Amino acid sequence: MTAHFRNLLVTWVLLLVLLGAEFGASFLPLARSDRPLILIPVVLMVAAVGTMFMQVGRGPTIVRLFAVAALVWLCVLLGLGSLDPMTRTDHLVQAANPK
Amino acid sequence: MSATTIETSEYASSYLTDGFTLRSWLLTTDHKRIALLYLASITFFFFIGGAAAALIRYNLLVPEGMIASAETYNRIFTMHGVVMVWFFLIPAVPVTLGNFVVPLMLGARDLAFPKLNLISWYLFIIAGVIVVYSLFAGGVDTGWTFYTPLASEYSKGHVVATVVAIFIAGFSSIATGLNFIVTIHRLRAPGMTWYKMPVFLWSLYATSVILVLATPVLAMTLILLAFERIFHVGVFDPALGGDPLLFQHLFWFYSHPAVYVMILPGFGVVSEIIPAFSRKRIFGYNFIVWCSVAIAVISFLVWGHHMFVAGTSIYSALVFSILSYMVAVPSAIKVFNWIGTMHKGYIRFDAPMLYALGFIGLFTIGGLTGLFLAALGADVHLTQTYFVVAHFHYVMVGGMVSAFFAGLHYWWPKITGRMYPEMWGRVGAIIIFIGFNFTFFPQFIVGYLGMPRRYHSYPPEFEVLNVLSSAGATILAVGYLLPLAYLTWSLRYGDRAPANPWGATGLEWRTQSPPLTENFDETPIVTDPPYNYPPPEVVQRRV
Amino acid sequence: MWLFLATEVLFFGAIVLSWIYCRRWNPAGFDAGAQQTQLGIGTINTVILLTSSLVYSVGLAFIEAGNRRRLIQCCALAWALGLAFLILKFGIEYHKDFAQHLFPGPDFAINGALGGGARLFFVFYFVSTAVHGIHMIGGLILVGWIILRARGDEFSPLYHTPVVVVGLYWSFVDVVWIVLYALIYLVGRGS
Repeated sequence: MTAHFRNLLVTWVLLLVLLGAEFGASFLPLARSDRPLILIPVVLMVAAVGTMFMQVGRGPTIVRLFAVAALVWLCVLLGLGSLDPMTRTDHLVQAANPK
Repeated sequence: MSATTIETSEYASSYLTDGFTLRSWLLTTDHKRIALLYLASITFFFFIGGAAAALIRYNLLVPEGMIASAETYNRIFTMHGVVMVWFFLIPAVPVTLGNFVVPLMLGARDLAFPKLNLISWYLFIIAGVIVVYSLFAGGVDTGWTFYTPLASEYSKGHVVATVVAIFIAGFSSIATGLNFIVTIHRLRAPGMTWYKMPVFLWSLYATSVILVLATPVLAMTLILLAFERIFHVGVFDPALGGDPLLFQHLFWFYSHPAVYVMILPGFGVVSEIIPAFSRKRIFGYNFIVWCSVAIAVISFLVWGHHMFVAGTSIYSALVFSILSYMVAVPSAIKVFNWIGTMHKGYIRFDAPMLYALGFIGLFTIGGLTGLFLAALGADVHLTQTYFVVAHFHYVMVGGMVSAFFAGLHYWWPKITGRMYPEMWGRVGAIIIFIGFNFTFFPQFIVGYLGMPRRYHSYPPEFEVLNVLSSAGATILAVGYLLPLAYLTWSLRYGDRAPANPWGATGLEWRTQSPPLTENFDETPIVTDPPYNYPPPEVVQRRV
Repeated sequence: MWLFLATEVLFFGAIVLSWIYCRRWNPAGFDAGAQQTQLGIGTINTVILLTSSLVYSVGLAFIEAGNRRRLIQCCALAWALGLAFLILKFGIEYHKDFAQHLFPGPDFAINGALGGGARLFFVFYFVSTAVHGIHMIGGLILVGWIILRARGDEFSPLYHTPVVVVGLYWSFVDVVWIVLYALIYLVGRGS
């Protein structure tokens, strides 16, 4: 039992470290299109909460299947959904009405 | 599965006699009663949507538009779309036939969350009240697709009210989907493995997965739309830096899978009826069930084909076009499997079978024309014309509504304990088939010739085909009113139905018609594979 | 519950997609808006929620070992932290945001070339935090319900499924915040 409590505490410390990392990274002079790299720690934090606090690995297979499905569908939404704006050709237009 | 089933129904007591007060119906948690509450509700909405359709076809009798100004016409076809999509087609089979039959087919007493089921219905009703209010207060002119910036900025209709109604209806759908998934996982009778389940259950499972994953995106989209409309910010407005295509991406991410929500239960119904009326095991069971799953998955990958001319990047359009061709494959496999089932079967042309056969023909035409539209080049010409309108009405109405009627007639004896008059059933099916083709086939032609959709008037050279279409619509209307009449008649005067009037396999036929509230006296144990039809045997039917 | 959480992933996913689009088309304005957010309050709130998730998980571990008293104490602490989040967010931070005219209404603070993008940022900010806040309130109700049931001695090492289920929801709301925090407070800053 103490091992489990220790694991939870270590996870929390890890989360705070990642939080600090992304916090610090946000002040780096990154190019505007590179700034989304700050989201890398976010992915790790989500994984930590999912595995350690929510214990997604512990349950029956169907639970892991639902969790994986949720992630896959999220990737479809964000990935395939971003395909269009990322590959559109910008035709510059004169700004008509300054609103 | 023995041939000697339960004798003539014990209508002395059933779920219908288990309480006669209004309270016992409005506060029921019995899935069968909830299914009937839903049936009454969606029938009501079908008639509202149908009335709007009648007005549309009436208006299009003459090129300059018979009745309405363009503005009013926009409100009419929007009402038709909104009501038919969210208040009839999406719920139809799952909440009526699904709610009623799923626990029976599984050998269970009820769904996993009976109270949630009732809440689902109340959410649906609340949504319905709001949408009816919004319609009578003047309606919306944006089309059921609510494209921005018309819907978010310029429309003078009751956008927010309608959108709130759809938002609430969405939660009703999500709740139903959750309920079915958990029920199918947890409440199967002893011995019923996944591969012993009838195809109908697999279809509803796939449908529920779509409902559960797609509807939340619609919910957030509607929130953003309402926010934009109220506060005049520019998330979807290019003048303010927003992107109208963002709305379309988000909207169609839900709405394309939603059309598979509409059709998958229909596939399931047909997959039950064809074996029963061919007295033959279904052909290629494994293929059919995994195709349902495949359709559910691939349906999420094709939404961009609604936006080919909207201004998306050509690369994105290419990807969506290829994926759209892929989604047709599992549907086609199913059609071949149904035909394979009928081959060398002992076929009876009772009403459910006629509807199911109509489904196969009409759905195939609709599905194939979808492929025309999925081709980028062809779509540039065909998009926003009546070709598209004909395509989706072939699959939705020719397909789905036929399947709904097929299932309604097939399970009517189980639900009500009465047989409908067979001759009228067949007459109705045939009238619907004829009326449907007269209404919608001309629309393929006018669409190909260039007549745009959602216009209240049209160039005079299209008049003949439009008049033909409207005439067909009248026949179709008769075809839809007929079942209403004879099914209602059968409630009082129809022959009493035995437990298994069709001699079909499936656990739902092993209990009395109509069932007891608890469904089964004792939980059945499943040992046979599904569709276990032996050589011709004694069938219990009325003479 | 995992199935329900899948629906929530897609619900919030939709607004993340709109973040992607709005930032793609208006990067300068969007980030200009982001720089107006209260980084301090946001970061403190993130720490609060991470801790709250930890504390609840610890409580769950306690009841797995049979310690009902600790479960109640942990849930109460998690609940209090959640309440603190809401007070900071909606009591203090929103108050400041409105005082600085950051709500994208008629008297929005940032105008000119960056105004459009900044407005869009704040649409994202207000909608996503409001929806998250509603989910937090739901979470408080659920955790409160667990406390009441625990006090009624309904849980044991053999049966504590509701505790697990509510814990999943509570941690999930935390996960959503982890994502929102970065999208709101961090990506647009410091450029």
